[in-house]
Amino acid sequence: MAVSVVMPALEMAQETGKLLAWLKKEGDPVKKGEPLLEIETDKVTVEVEAPADGVLAGLRSRAGDEVPVGQTIAWIVAPGEQPPAETAPAVTGRAMSSSVSVSETPGTKAEPAKSLEPTARVSPKAKRLAKELGVDLNKVRGSGPDGVITGEDVEAAAKARPAAAAEPAGLSSIARLMAERTTHSWTTTPHFFLVREIDAGPLLAAREHFSGTAAVKLTHTDLLIALVARVVAQHPKFNASWTGEAIHLHPEVNISLAAAVRDGVVGVVIPKANTATLAEIAARRADLSERARAGHLRPPDVTGGTFTISNLGMYQVDAFSAIITPPQAAVLAVGAIADRVVAVNGQPAVRKMMTVTLSSDHRVVDGAQAAVFLNDLAEAFREPQNRLA
Amino acid sequence: MPGSNGRELTLAQAIREALAEEMRRDSRVFILGEDIAEAGHPFKVLTGLVEEFGTDRVLDTPISEAGFTGVAVGAAMTGLRPVVDIMFGDFVTLTMDQMVNQAAKVHYMSGGKWKVPMVLRTTLGATRRSAAQHSQSLHAWFCHVPGLKVVLPSTPYDAKGLLKTAIRDENPVAFFEDKMMYRLKGPVPEEEYTIPFGVADIKRAGDDITIVATSSMVQVALGAAKLLEEAGISAEVIDPRTLWPLDEKTLIESAKKTSRVIVMDEGYGRYGVVAEIASVIAEGAFFDLEAPVKKMGAMHVPIPFSPPLEDATVPTEQSVFDAARAMCG
Repeated sequence: MAVSVVMPALEMAQETGKLLAWLKKEGDPVKKGEPLLEIETDKVTVEVEAPADGVLAGLRSRAGDEVPVGQTIAWIVAPGEQPPAETAPAVTGRAMSSSVSVSETPGTKAEPAKSLEPTARVSPKAKRLAKELGVDLNKVRGSGPDGVITGEDVEAAAKARPAAAAEPAGLSSIARLMAERTTHSWTTTPHFFLVREIDAGPLLAAREHFSGTAAVKLTHTDLLIALVARVVAQHPKFNASWTGEAIHLHPEVNISLAAAVRDGVVGVVIPKANTATLAEIAARRADLSERARAGHLRPPDVTGGTFTISNLGMYQVDAFSAIITPPQAAVLAVGAIADRVVAVNGQPAVRKMMTVTLSSDHRVVDGAQAAVFLNDLAEAFREPQNRLA
Repeated sequence: MPGSNGRELTLAQAIREALAEEMRRDSRVFILGEDIAEAGHPFKVLTGLVEEFGTDRVLDTPISEAGFTGVAVGAAMTGLRPVVDIMFGDFVTLTMDQMVNQAAKVHYMSGGKWKVPMVLRTTLGATRRSAAQHSQSLHAWFCHVPGLKVVLPSTPYDAKGLLKTAIRDENPVAFFEDKMMYRLKGPVPEEEYTIPFGVADIKRAGDDITIVATSSMVQVALGAAKLLEEAGISAEVIDPRTLWPLDEKTLIESAKKTSRVIVMDEGYGRYGVVAEIASVIAEGAFFDLEAPVKKMGAMHVPIPFSPPLEDATVPTEQSVFDAARAMCG
């Protein structure tokens, strides 16, 4: 009994996945649960596991192919068994897991099988041009005799591609998505910005204090996450989304932490950060950072965030304004902690200071609300040890 | 045409003029064959030559192709420059031992001490209602043999320039004239000129499809190109002029430009000139081709005497037009 391997839907509204690499070859024996291939969605790189024991056969996609979600890309067969000739269309929910369809009588479902093999013939010139121009022949209609795909068809297809697809080859999903999302946010979300200087002395002290007790090494960011999450929990509108007609308040405070990856930035999520302990936050943050660097993030790592913290302090940035990540309502941009001369009781004094900038969606909150939020945050920073104990 | 000053000759006149000029230029040049002296050749190609050069240099032979071709090989080896006339190309079969085993081999087997500077002129082409033994186009036989050069002119200008080059060549050359084109007129300049071997001529420039055609098929290709132009398809017509040496570069470049190629030749399509040229183009331009190279040669049958049947054995303007249209989609 052949079991199909399909391109899984890992995200809402995901239409295609990019096959990065096969980890097994045609004819390799595989065990259920073994990593079979790597795919890249808009946000993440994921290993897809073998849905059954058997032999990998009938590979229909190659590394680099963009494959529609739900399409069969290979089969797991019994030793000696031939993979089914046609693909029974796999029924896929848009679930966050690999969809596996089992086919005992392939081709019996009503819909016509979608084959990745181009049905039309392709002229040698068209084949060469498709390779050179990076055109997917599956998407080209042939205009030659008997529907042969000609070089002209390929050139026309290359010209007709949207500008994004004509970017230099190798633009990753992450880079493209970053471009699309930030443009969309910046042009449709009415941003406004509030800036506040905060004395970071107590934060540093708290880090010293808790570092002694935690099993994991604590960073400023861990304390930031914990403190901000607890303040956000008291200001539900900063943990909300504009739906187009109303403000939707999220039940959980899931902090997104902007993390640099190879080709852009992703928001890795610390769920329920308002109730998580510092140690839990630190462990989660360390794990996510590591996997972000290695390119091994999984969909749950980057979805469900309700409020973002972006910290560029480690790059010695004093202050900056961040773009909100829809559908969130706000993002807190954190600058470097540095010695500053400030007035203390009418006298100049040197203090460890940092500047935070709150970007807010004016459809969800207004300036006064943002000011109150920021004030509460500053208060929390005054006595972090009490807040986090 | 450079300096033709509007002068036009038929293909037969151009051949005769080339022979006369070379015979005047070089006293070692002589011609021999059947009915070529007083009769001036059944196709009237050689009229007047015996009057100018006498029977010492325009030799009537018995009906003995193998014999007088052998005479020519020996004469060439001993310092003369014979031009053999084989009236109908079908009878080159009788000359084959002399051409293939002697003329083509002597220079090589003597370590370069001997050479065979001879020309074998003969005819090709069907549709003259001459039936199966007088209508064949057997030039591919010579193309197959290393040591022989093969020339197929398609215009009076080319015929004259190529024949002069052939006579001056130090190697045996087989020179094929389409017997149906002897009356074809075309510009030929008064002044001296020769045409080098191995240089194809673009008879008509075009962008959409290349038609490689030889000899008799050049005119057919040009006619088809006109029809195609009316249908909005721009055809390029290339005449290789010499099949060996073959100007592969020009053929491949044209194929790369247009991406579609028809190869026409009046020899048999199977195992023939069209097959060789098609393979040269397929190898050289494969990744620029939109369609398989189309071969159009003579039908693989003995040429029928019945006129309607005979006409059906060779490519026509209409059949080339149809094939080109189908390839261009």
